[in-house]
Amino acid sequence: MKKTIKFTAAVAMIGLMAFASAGCGGDDKKAAAAKDTLKFGVTNFADSLEPTDNYFGWIVMRYGLGECLVKFDEKMNSTPWLAENWQVSDDKLTWTFKINDKAKFSNGNKVTAEAVKKSIERTFEKAARARAMFEYDNISADGQTLMIKTHTPVATLPGMLGDPLFIIIDTSVTDRDYAKQGPICTGPYMVNTYSKAKAVMDANPNYWDGEVPFKHVEIPTIDDPNTRAMALQSGEIDMAINIAPGDMSLFSNKDKYNISAIASLRDVLARMNVKEGKPMYDKRVREALLSSLDRETYCKVLLKDTFTSGGPLMPPSVDYGFDQLKDPNTYNVERAKKLLEEAGWKDTNGDGYVDKEGKNLEMDFIFYSGRAELPLFAEATQSDAKKVGIKVNLKNVDYNVLDGIGVRGEYDLLISNILTLQAGDPEVFINQYWKTNVNGNNPQNGSGYSNPAYDALSDKLAVEFDPAKRRQLVIDMQKIILDDAATIIFGYPQTNMISNNSIANAEILPCDYYWLTKEIKPAQK
Amino acid sequence: MENLINGLKNNRAFAFSSFLVLLLIGIALAAPLLAPYDPLEATMKNAYLPPSSEHLFGTDKLGRDNFSRVLYGASYSLSSVLLLVAVIFAVGTSLGVLAGYFGGKVDTVIMRISDMMISFPGMILAIAIAGIMGGSLINAIIALTIVTWTKYARLARSMVLKIKKRDFVEAAVVNGGKPTHILWKHIVPNILPLMIITAASDIGAMMMELAGLSFLGFGSQPPAPEWGLMLNEGRQQLQTAPWLMFFPGLAIFLTVVVFNLWGDSLRDVLDPRQED
Repeated sequence: MKKTIKFTAAVAMIGLMAFASAGCGGDDKKAAAAKDTLKFGVTNFADSLEPTDNYFGWIVMRYGLGECLVKFDEKMNSTPWLAENWQVSDDKLTWTFKINDKAKFSNGNKVTAEAVKKSIERTFEKAARARAMFEYDNISADGQTLMIKTHTPVATLPGMLGDPLFIIIDTSVTDRDYAKQGPICTGPYMVNTYSKAKAVMDANPNYWDGEVPFKHVEIPTIDDPNTRAMALQSGEIDMAINIAPGDMSLFSNKDKYNISAIASLRDVLARMNVKEGKPMYDKRVREALLSSLDRETYCKVLLKDTFTSGGPLMPPSVDYGFDQLKDPNTYNVERAKKLLEEAGWKDTNGDGYVDKEGKNLEMDFIFYSGRAELPLFAEATQSDAKKVGIKVNLKNVDYNVLDGIGVRGEYDLLISNILTLQAGDPEVFINQYWKTNVNGNNPQNGSGYSNPAYDALSDKLAVEFDPAKRRQLVIDMQKIILDDAATIIFGYPQTNMISNNSIANAEILPCDYYWLTKEIKPAQK
Repeated sequence: MENLINGLKNNRAFAFSSFLVLLLIGIALAAPLLAPYDPLEATMKNAYLPPSSEHLFGTDKLGRDNFSRVLYGASYSLSSVLLLVAVIFAVGTSLGVLAGYFGGKVDTVIMRISDMMISFPGMILAIAIAGIMGGSLINAIIALTIVTWTKYARLARSMVLKIKKRDFVEAAVVNGGKPTHILWKHIVPNILPLMIITAASDIGAMMMELAGLSFLGFGSQPPAPEWGLMLNEGRQQLQTAPWLMFFPGLAIFLTVVVFNLWGDSLRDVLDPRQED
């Protein structure tokens, strides 16, 4: 068996070489005495480093350039960063942040409460997304003490200030091209040159929080995951983000590579259109579809254990009752067939698909191929659903039209890979697809799903400050979705960072914001 | 037709490559009989198995038998490429003949459109067209037709212009022949061999372009067992399951070689002027 693999691989390589004139990887013989340049292969969507535009702040933070007042730890708790501590007043309207006295911008300016105030005000001025998060009445600064007074109580305000949108920048500097040079921030590295294709960065000489481990960092954008894996193998890069499931086994040699993999905060889920007239208006059809899908095999075999198979809305990486919530619709083909029969769907014409009133049970499954696992889940669904007589038609669309299709409800099933926590909290996520959409007040819910019990819990969540009670509300809401069979949660992806043996401490956190940190150091030899 | 039969008797290269083409078509037609498994039947627990006696070409990402998929892919890919070439041939040749024979405004309109089409890089335009219309095999065929017909139109037009001046055509005109009669009886038969040769030698190239579009996601859609699409699906496992790229790639390679050889030897048979 092994021989066959080797032989096939050899023949494939010869074949490839015959077609491609690409240069070989070659050995990396630059065994540097003291490693002072880190090379990090990433995916990047940002043409600009302006943190208030789009989601570009993510890149500013991922590249170790910018920092916020608050950082999320491996359990997604808010922990101090530029702010040492914070508390809320008794009326829950005024938050007081104590800014770290040591904190400095990369140009040497001190990070005062006044500077933080200006930076936050700038974000509000420029980004509509910030205004959607919360509204403030005023911000006041006194020495290192920052006070934010909000309009209404905002339970998750510190977490919101951990969003890269609120990266603290030095607004007194006005002669910079933020798109190409980035703002003056407080992170361990600063931009030398930046383009979407490649960033070159230098150590920040004024870094406030310890020594900066590398003099230079080069971050080439390698969007194709297979190419990224090859670059890491050839030594072109020292470290890579999100190696594809299929390529993980290439890096299993522990002497050469360090794999840091962790359950991410994301879900791969398919929204189900339950509007009247659609086949999935009938709960039994939804249950049948869910029962027909062997989600465990998808995640274990097809995705090689890089996904945890799905059940409730919230992933196991966060503490929202993953272990206590039971999915009533696990894989059970016989049950699926029985449910379809109960719902009146039978294969009367022998074409392999169940039908009712002369029409086959057909569903349009919308997906996009920008993420490798989505087509795989889509095809696996098509194949498994066929086994119980449901015809799934796959529709591959461009990512840019996906949102519109979702809002207008032009689908039966629509798959996407989405973040479950916004600013450290699930409220936005748990409302957006399932809270009743009354005259377009919750536009993301284009599926027609509506459950008064769910809405009542959602309303309670909006005004609840106590973390334990919030957690319980989120768990109760998840239970309703599970019992209603209102969504297919295919699984929860892992995220990973793989580094070679010249690098130490390259550990990934569940939160997508932190890639290059000051902890990542040259390995001691 | 006589030429063809003579060619089969006397030209060994032509006989041999014709045999290979027939063999390919035979495989494509017999795929349901030859394939050991249903190409769409997914046994997910068996995903990514390497080639073995049970699965000659291994299994793919959903545990489908790769050998069966490559076999079914033959009928899928061959029929679509033959359809594509037939459409291009018909559209391009007829427009070219019309432009060449009638000249004047007809000629100007057809040829200026054709000029516009060739001022874009073909594959990019095809990608744009297929992208706008959405990915499907039919749309890919339409896209490639739009960018390729001009080649046939120009060739047909230039040959018609040449033949139009020959004495037998003028004699036919003087004798009061109607345009349709002259076109069918005197012009088309004279340009047909060269057009057919061009079409035959284009089959390989068209197959590559169609596979290319499918590879990019603008052609066949999953779960169709189309070679270009299979290449794309296998690409993600290039290093860990190379058989998923190797066998569809080999199938495309062999098919293209066979059709190119056949196209070349067909030229030798149909167009004696080129013979040494």
